[in-house]
Amino acid sequence: MGKHIIVDPITRLEGHGKIDIILNDDGNVDRAYFQVPELRGFEQFAIGRRAEDLPQITSRICGV
Amino acid sequence: MSKPKVGFYWCASCGGCEEAVVDLNEGVLDVVEAVDIVFWPVALDFKRSDVEAMEDGEMAVCFINGAIRNSEQKEMVEILRKKSGLIVAFGSCSHMGGIPGLANLHDKESIFNRVYHTVPTIDNPDGTIPQVETSVCGTTVELPEFWDTVRTLNQVIDVDYYLPGCAPPVNLIVGAVTAILEGKLPEKGAVLAPDKALCDECDRRESKPENLCIDEFKRPYQIIIDEEECLLAQGLLCLGSATRAGCDSICVKGNMPCTGCMGPTSRVNDFGAKALSAMASVANANDEKDVKRIIGGIADPVGSFNKYSLPASYLHRKVRK
Repeated sequence: MGKHIIVDPITRLEGHGKIDIILNDDGNVDRAYFQVPELRGFEQFAIGRRAEDLPQITSRICGV
Repeated sequence: MSKPKVGFYWCASCGGCEEAVVDLNEGVLDVVEAVDIVFWPVALDFKRSDVEAMEDGEMAVCFINGAIRNSEQKEMVEILRKKSGLIVAFGSCSHMGGIPGLANLHDKESIFNRVYHTVPTIDNPDGTIPQVETSVCGTTVELPEFWDTVRTLNQVIDVDYYLPGCAPPVNLIVGAVTAILEGKLPEKGAVLAPDKALCDECDRRESKPENLCIDEFKRPYQIIIDEEECLLAQGLLCLGSATRAGCDSICVKGNMPCTGCMGPTSRVNDFGAKALSAMASVANANDEKDVKRIIGGIADPVGSFNKYSLPASYLHRKVRK
């Protein structure tokens, strides 16, 4: 197995991210993963809320 | 003399709190004149290892926004607690759980099921869900553990001060930074905002009847909302009487009821209970039946009274079966 490079966190962007790069024995990229370590679950907890509240709730998915 | 070092970090949040810092506009130049920002992932490149390499207490203050809902956020705020003289919970999510705290009406399993299996936009034929560890090419790729329960910052680490609001108003941020720089902070645990109800500073307060009686709570789409009269007097679920002032009543100025993002005053522990009690106290009820009819007419009471505060409330989360 080659080297495993982890960039954590990815910075200067809005949101959370992490990159895993796995190199092979020759030093070339074998696999690369972009991971989003953050989940809040708006898809689930927005259900059951008052319809008129959704513009306020969903605007907090991204406040930028 | 070297400038005090300051950090900003985010957990389960939307980036709106970072925007609030940017909303200082040119004022941010005065801040960077007075302090060195040494950690702020949205704006500067720092890795976790850089924070770990800091001396304990090296940062004078770290402003942390976002709720705590996974293992990585817990680990990061524990590190930041060690590296910081003061921790300020910045915004509704770290203060009370915020909008992401509404996930406490569910659990990890039901959220994963919705997000990765049943939501209409998903394309996941193998039914993959996030794994804490995945073996690949002889190494392990890791993700944080997603919790069943969203927590406030002070349920995970010791917090010195709170800047409330979703997002915190700019004048309160300036006031907090000034108080820290001048060493004029109130006692530990204080919320750095006026300790009075929003109604006290609302432009419509004169139109709030002394003995307000509500026969029926209305929803915004059911009435033409008068732009000058007290919103609660119009029957709308305006939580200003239970909510801390300091936001310049921007929602009410936009003709929308207050939903409580600033949290309670210092005399109240549970915002949702206080808000419910405030609404019950204006219900025009002579017996229990009336109370049931009027309060029962409020759609989604838990989401309405604890829109920003469920993890901090005595309810905390839905009971697990």
